[in-house]
Amino acid sequence: MDPRKKFIETLNSYKKGSISRREFLGKTGLGLATAVMAMNMPGLMGLRQANAASKLGNRVSLATWPNYHDPENLKKFTEKTGVHIQHNVFGSNEEMLAKVQAGGSPFDVMVITNYTISTYVKLGLLEPLDLSKLPNFIEANHEQVFIGEAKIGGKIYAVPKNWGTTGYVVNTKKIKDKMTTWKQFWDLTITKYSGRTIVHDYQLTAIGNALKYFGYSFNSIDPKELAEAEKLMIKAKPHLFAISSDYQPAMRNGDAWMSICWTGDGSQLHRDMPEIQYVLGKEGGELWTDFFAIPKSAEHLEAAYALTNFLLDPAVNAAEVKKHGYPATDKLTNKLLPKEMLDDPIMYPAKELLDPLEFGAAATLTSPLRAEVMARFKAA
Amino acid sequence: MRFYALLVYLFLYIPIGIIVLFSFNAGRHASELQGFSIKWFGIALSNPFVMEALKTSLIVAGTTALLSSIMGTMAALGLQNVRGIVRMIFDSLIYIAIMIPGIVFGIATLVALATALDFINPMLKNIWPIILGEAPRLKLGLISIISAHTLWTTALATVIIRARVQGMDRSLIEASIDLYATPWRTFYQVTLPQIFPGILAAALLNFTLSFDDFIIAFFVAGGRTTLPIYVFASIRRGITPEINAIATMMLIVSLTLLFTSQGLLRKRK
Amino acid sequence: MAKKSSSYVTTLLLAPMAIWMTALLILPILVVLVYSFGELAEMGGYKPAFTLAQYANLPARLTAFKNTLVLAPAGTLAAFLIAYPLAYYLARTVEPRRRMILLTLVIVPFWTSFLIRTYAWMFILGGRGIPALLEFIGIEGVRLLNTPTAVLIGIVYGYLPLMVFPIFVSLEKVDESLLEASNDLGASPVRTFLQVTLPLSLPGVATACMIVFILLMGEFLIPALLGGGKVFFIGNALVDLFLQSRNWPFGSAVAITLVVVMLVIVSLYMRMIFKPGKTQDVSMI
Repeated sequence: MDPRKKFIETLNSYKKGSISRREFLGKTGLGLATAVMAMNMPGLMGLRQANAASKLGNRVSLATWPNYHDPENLKKFTEKTGVHIQHNVFGSNEEMLAKVQAGGSPFDVMVITNYTISTYVKLGLLEPLDLSKLPNFIEANHEQVFIGEAKIGGKIYAVPKNWGTTGYVVNTKKIKDKMTTWKQFWDLTITKYSGRTIVHDYQLTAIGNALKYFGYSFNSIDPKELAEAEKLMIKAKPHLFAISSDYQPAMRNGDAWMSICWTGDGSQLHRDMPEIQYVLGKEGGELWTDFFAIPKSAEHLEAAYALTNFLLDPAVNAAEVKKHGYPATDKLTNKLLPKEMLDDPIMYPAKELLDPLEFGAAATLTSPLRAEVMARFKAA
Repeated sequence: MRFYALLVYLFLYIPIGIIVLFSFNAGRHASELQGFSIKWFGIALSNPFVMEALKTSLIVAGTTALLSSIMGTMAALGLQNVRGIVRMIFDSLIYIAIMIPGIVFGIATLVALATALDFINPMLKNIWPIILGEAPRLKLGLISIISAHTLWTTALATVIIRARVQGMDRSLIEASIDLYATPWRTFYQVTLPQIFPGILAAALLNFTLSFDDFIIAFFVAGGRTTLPIYVFASIRRGITPEINAIATMMLIVSLTLLFTSQGLLRKRK
Repeated sequence: MAKKSSSYVTTLLLAPMAIWMTALLILPILVVLVYSFGELAEMGGYKPAFTLAQYANLPARLTAFKNTLVLAPAGTLAAFLIAYPLAYYLARTVEPRRRMILLTLVIVPFWTSFLIRTYAWMFILGGRGIPALLEFIGIEGVRLLNTPTAVLIGIVYGYLPLMVFPIFVSLEKVDESLLEASNDLGASPVRTFLQVTLPLSLPGVATACMIVFILLMGEFLIPALLGGGKVFFIGNALVDLFLQSRNWPFGSAVAITLVVVMLVIVSLYMRMIFKPGKTQDVSMI
């Protein structure tokens, strides 16, 4: 780790109020520990004060993905507004939708992927956003290709969070083969690196990238093509380490050597463990945009808008990007990012790798065929 | 034998030891010790979601334990007076209710309530007087969790209490009736003291089951968050020692309760 | 007259349970039954219909049923084998003064969150836990997490307290004089155990095994956390169907099938364990 990074990290850990072991041993334990406790306790009082001051209420519930926010940013929001964030993460868009469909939305802000928006709207779960409450969203600053799907009938139902790709990560200390394709990913899972691969618990990417093995469209709902993909997946299943969308812990501690992976997880893993590399299959795969949406039934509407707007603030957004390593769609945010980040090949892959990628298709979300292929794969 | 017991206790307590150890971790991660700190206790206690989840869980478990003990006691007492077909129906219902896995209760409650609400909500909207403003939308929440939990635990309570009712000394009850005590008084002064340990045991067990239940609540909680649901969400987003701190505090509370109650019992003896 | 008032009281006593059971057990199960003959709606959920298609699709979850039907009894057996000696030790050899404390210590884990305890096992069985220790002493390449073994360990750990308690109660109830008599008649301790103690403790064993088995048949968390999505129980299939693929009709069919399987197994079990004709209540306490 380079010294500058280390310094900043140490600095951050001081800010968080944590004590390193050495320091702890150096001073007397109890006094310091009490001080830390006292530092953290005023949270309670702060909550009450903020409550009286604003009409936002004191809570907002966020449905999002693993490793997708800078905890410092969320903390800052709470400090600024007194609104505490209930942070829920999901493994797939399907799971998020099912939770909302079964028994009313428990969430105020949801991070959903491009291909699901039209279904949410059809099901009457989303309403057009009140853009006057989201001054940090300026449509012109986003490329149409990323935000098109949020606009239905001229109205905007969701605002973009980040875009990214779905590839896979490889621990090059353990896997010496030069990995470039999805074919290799599946073949080596089944043979050489049995028991070391993680596949998402998510129909879109798990099935989609099995389809790419055969060169079919990532979004295929053709029964014949899906049957082939299913066969491959079921063949690979005994050789998998896990089926999970939260693969960072297993990649970090060395249990897994390879995993289907989103851009930001690739950045984060590579940042901390340079031997972990992010690969986009030559055959193609997924290109996506994630959006903030506020469901119709949100109970804390004002707080939901406040949180969304806060996270869209270029400075905040830039801090998010620096932490999670997913590229932003917002030009103003990009201006605040260091050059090396904008040149980062994980975040901004080469054109020839981007070209074959496809955006997820709405049909995959509601296709009973794909749902069953995924379910049979998991139950096999 | 003692050595074996020691091994089993180690097996039981090593994971708990690890949980407690990590609750004093200074770092953010629950899998890497980075020095000693008690800050996570403060963080947990000042997190309104933890407190709200705890409150929800306590309300759910308390109500469940209370309702299931009352209904279980009533049923256990009532069932000793019936024979034949009625008895058979009740026995098989209890039997079925005990045998059905919790997850099915969750699903059945979810499906039935969702269907009922689809029907009730539009109706409510139609008949709701305009003066009262917008019609309320009924949805899954506290009540659906409590009803699923109560259903799940009442049969269990009935069985536990009935064992006690059957072992009861009937001559005392007859004596009480002979002495012209009212049925209520007989119940209060003769029956209840005899079956009370059973009721208490059932209530305790059901409180624990309800408090710790994840799967039923996962289906029917709607927007409510019980403590296990909160913990599950935390595990998924990468657990911080905050969760360990919660577990440690729960452990301290239950240990204190257990040992003080035992101390009290011993004193009474 | 007295009889009439007593039957009035009995009705009152039984009414709440009857209403509760009808409204929350019978009706919902009927709704699930109706759903299980329905079709999947276009956007997910239920569409009224009458078709056996959902049941015809059951073989797609055969592995989940198989896993459950293998690992649930195996877990029950393993938990029993570990619990019985401990229960015996507590009930018959420990002096009464320490007995309560030791028994309490068995129950305490049950009072800390099941989820967190299982999570602790994710750490113990994961790469930095036991496998790292084994590597340290030279055994490499051991993988525990996300295997059936891990799930089994989780099951035994999670349900051990529930197993110990009923067995302890039935062992404690065994009349000391019977054991003394057996001893006086020259039976060896092993024989006394096999012919007197063990048979007398069977009701407790039967109860404990049944409770654990029933809970395991609906288990979701242990395979989800320690099986890494690879060891799949019926409970996981149900969660997936309702809370992921939104296929309510098929989920209902799977749920109904699970209930039927349970009914058959538990009825057979009860008939085998408890003598026919004699109703015996499951006593926990």
